[in-house]
Amino acid sequence: MSNNVKKHYDVIVIGGGITGAGTARDCAMRGLSVLLVERYDFTYGATGRNHGLLHSGARYAVTDGESAAECIKENMTLRKIARHCVDETEGLFITLPEDDLHYQDTFVEACHKAGINAEAIDPAEARRMEPAVNPTLIGAVKVPDASIDPFRLTTANVVDARLHGADTLTYHEVVELLVEQNRCVGVKLRNNHNGEMSEVHADLTINAAGIWGHLVAKQAGITVNMFPAKGALLIFGHRVNNMVINRCRKPANADILVPDDTVCVIGTTSDRVPFEECDHMKVTPEEVDILMREGEKLAPSLATTRILRAYAGVRPLVASDDDPSGRSISRGIVCLDHESRDGMAGFITITGGKMMTYRMMAEEATDLACKKLGIDKKCETATTPLPGSEPRNDEQYKTYSYAQKAAEGRHGTLTSEIKSGDNEDDALVCECEEVTVGEVKYAINQLHVHNLINLRRRTRVGMGTCQGELCACRAACVLGKESGDTAKSGADLASFINERWKGMQPVAWGDTLNEAQLTATIYQGLCGLNKFVDKKEVEK
Amino acid sequence: MKFDSIIIGGGLSGLTAGIKLAKAGQKVALVAAGHSTLHFNSGSFDLLGHDEQGNAVANPTEAIAKLSAAHPYKKVADVAKLAGEAKQLLADAGLAVEGDAARNHYRLSPMGVAMPAWLTIGGYLTLDDPASIKYKNVAIVNINGYLDFPVAFVADALEKMGAKVAIKTISTPALEVARRSPSEMRATNIAKVLERDGQLEEAAQAINAVLSGEDAVLLPAVLGIADGNGVALLGNLVKTTVKFVATLPPSVPGVRTETLLRKRFEALGGTYIAGDRVKGGKFKGQHLASIETENLTGAELAADTFVLATGSFMSRGLSANYQRVWETAFNLDVDAAADRASWTSEDVFDAQPYQEFGVKTDDKLRVSLGGKTVDNFYAAGSVLSGHNSLKLADGTGVSMLTALQVANNILND
Repeated sequence: MSNNVKKHYDVIVIGGGITGAGTARDCAMRGLSVLLVERYDFTYGATGRNHGLLHSGARYAVTDGESAAECIKENMTLRKIARHCVDETEGLFITLPEDDLHYQDTFVEACHKAGINAEAIDPAEARRMEPAVNPTLIGAVKVPDASIDPFRLTTANVVDARLHGADTLTYHEVVELLVEQNRCVGVKLRNNHNGEMSEVHADLTINAAGIWGHLVAKQAGITVNMFPAKGALLIFGHRVNNMVINRCRKPANADILVPDDTVCVIGTTSDRVPFEECDHMKVTPEEVDILMREGEKLAPSLATTRILRAYAGVRPLVASDDDPSGRSISRGIVCLDHESRDGMAGFITITGGKMMTYRMMAEEATDLACKKLGIDKKCETATTPLPGSEPRNDEQYKTYSYAQKAAEGRHGTLTSEIKSGDNEDDALVCECEEVTVGEVKYAINQLHVHNLINLRRRTRVGMGTCQGELCACRAACVLGKESGDTAKSGADLASFINERWKGMQPVAWGDTLNEAQLTATIYQGLCGLNKFVDKKEVEK
Repeated sequence: MKFDSIIIGGGLSGLTAGIKLAKAGQKVALVAAGHSTLHFNSGSFDLLGHDEQGNAVANPTEAIAKLSAAHPYKKVADVAKLAGEAKQLLADAGLAVEGDAARNHYRLSPMGVAMPAWLTIGGYLTLDDPASIKYKNVAIVNINGYLDFPVAFVADALEKMGAKVAIKTISTPALEVARRSPSEMRATNIAKVLERDGQLEEAAQAINAVLSGEDAVLLPAVLGIADGNGVALLGNLVKTTVKFVATLPPSVPGVRTETLLRKRFEALGGTYIAGDRVKGGKFKGQHLASIETENLTGAELAADTFVLATGSFMSRGLSANYQRVWETAFNLDVDAAADRASWTSEDVFDAQPYQEFGVKTDDKLRVSLGGKTVDNFYAAGSVLSGHNSLKLADGTGVSMLTALQVANNILND
């Protein structure tokens, strides 16, 4: 893939999370030549490790009015430009008997001030709208929260950046910023698959590496004080609730339950962690206990619902005070012009913020880039639909098979590019999520899929209740066939099964333990997959 | 209802114990909750594939003598004798198997890994040496659109063993019809299609059409769900040697094994109670008097002796919540770590401690409740504690041999 990369670009964007992907898209749409580089896979960091919540902003209304206003604006924008990534569930903020009902008035008022359409409703009405909600609630407010798929959203931004001429590299890590006379002139890259080094030059380098952004800046001798705040979450085995359920109180642990596709997610905790832990996030038994205890208060049936897995991400907040929890820190956007700030020309850092405001972050960074490069072109990302989110052709949709309809949910109008109609392409790789061989091939060829973890992020293969029991082996076989390297795809399958286990281990009891034993029986007892383990696999 | 013995669990160990007791003239009932782990079977049975240090075992009978004291085999009086009896029991049920308890052979896994085995069902590919295959020119023929036979891995493995491999796919009109629903392409469904009248002839014709002088053809195990007749017939119709290789689940040879053992049990006069789950029993002191099931409400199933053969976690014989591990039907005493952090290991391929959890038994394989042995209640198979069947490759051996030992203990008592 490196062969297609040019020697010089207008802009290099570092980081394949939603901010980097959005920035690459914006830059490309404004006519800049762009290279997007990511050290592992798209969405590897915080983008792939959050709630998948399309915030209305209500959560921040009382404590951070500015963030709240940004959220509701972007909420409305994303519903339009990212139709196929958003599930318009709406949300509730509930008050429980142990909470102060007076807070609800403060909350509604603050929401209105931020422009959020918050409406206090009768608790009985809330129970009717969302049967899973804790029936003992004493207050409820309806807000325009929704659910959003971060994987789809990032993929769509990457696809659009490419459609506008951007080049994209995954598994390429910036190991050095090239600096000449106080000017960043490009990056030195290491291919994390084969260790090869290369240099690429650019007029401008944009650091969008999330929590790892401080390390990138450090390569130019610049300090950006990041605040790594770990958030742990639990995924439950099915979609218990149809609306987002929040606690109506000051933001605290485990007070948001989001329905995501076929599952639901409770989170988060918030604890400051050392930087060294950012690459090796583990969910502790204490975090699991907090999430279960608080989650059951939002929806009591969670107590008897299987926990599919636990995971954690790190919020890339910028430290500004010594708040130990990081809760009251602003979720505001931080765009650093290192030329004026640190005397380092050609280098910008875009950080802070949150997934909800990625597009604004991208716009801010791109505005600054255009100003520096002398380009006068307006941002159009707020009004141009992402690829896949164009209006659906209902006549064509009617002709789709079940699997194609499922694919439409994942890829929107781009589903028409997935091959179908013959025995091989229509065969189902994943029955939980209805993913065909054709869709797997499309992902391999169009969406930067090198391994099963990449494939899971693009298609949901292995994300369903079976956590990859049969589909992983089927998909590994398709990958092996496309790449021609069967031994590698065997090792990949072993590492995928291990990666799935990492999320199951913290919650390995009940049905999750039963399922883990079944998976072990199939892959180790029946198949002997342990013989394929390759300890050198790049991504953990 | 009163029986001599009641078996709880319809998997390999429950059926084995049931058959032996019924054959000895006992009046036996067996309660089966649903499909057993035979549905994940490979077409082979293992006795002991690896020792506790992880080395491949050449002679299982000898290596079993060196296992640690906690292993269930330590409660089996004469391993070699019962291994022979187990083989005969399978043969009597109509399942022809080949193998020797004093010498492991190898089976080929769905991913092409040579794995140690004790017995293998007739018609399945076996290897004497894990690194070589006697066929030099092999065709692997898969069903078009069937994804549970990862052909590429099998081909890769055979090539490494020095064989020339050609990969082919076939279909028949009946399979084309079945495929219209993509989720129908499962091993057991394909087997049902192939066993309809005339289908095998069509399949054989299609296979012959893609062969070009190979000395063996390997097929996924998608044939022989009821008996071995189809396997034999196809062998006659195809113009070269036919060998089967296990697929991902559901397992056709496993379903066949379960079906044949159940038929054998019923032919010997056993009462098979399907689709029911035992939810508890009445104890009189250290004696189990009767059991209750979910469906037979109000009815008590009484017996002189009982056998627990309900399997491990995946079979719901054991359960766990975030605080503890328990035996599901009677809350019998279990061997399990108290702290959940020590149930698992971080690497999925390392030995997982939970695999060794199970019910506590005395040297006669009798269970205990509240610290006291229940004098007429035995346990067999995967519900027993003390071994890791994935690391040792001893799961089916433990199931059959502990079941036969339990039957001996009951009959001798």
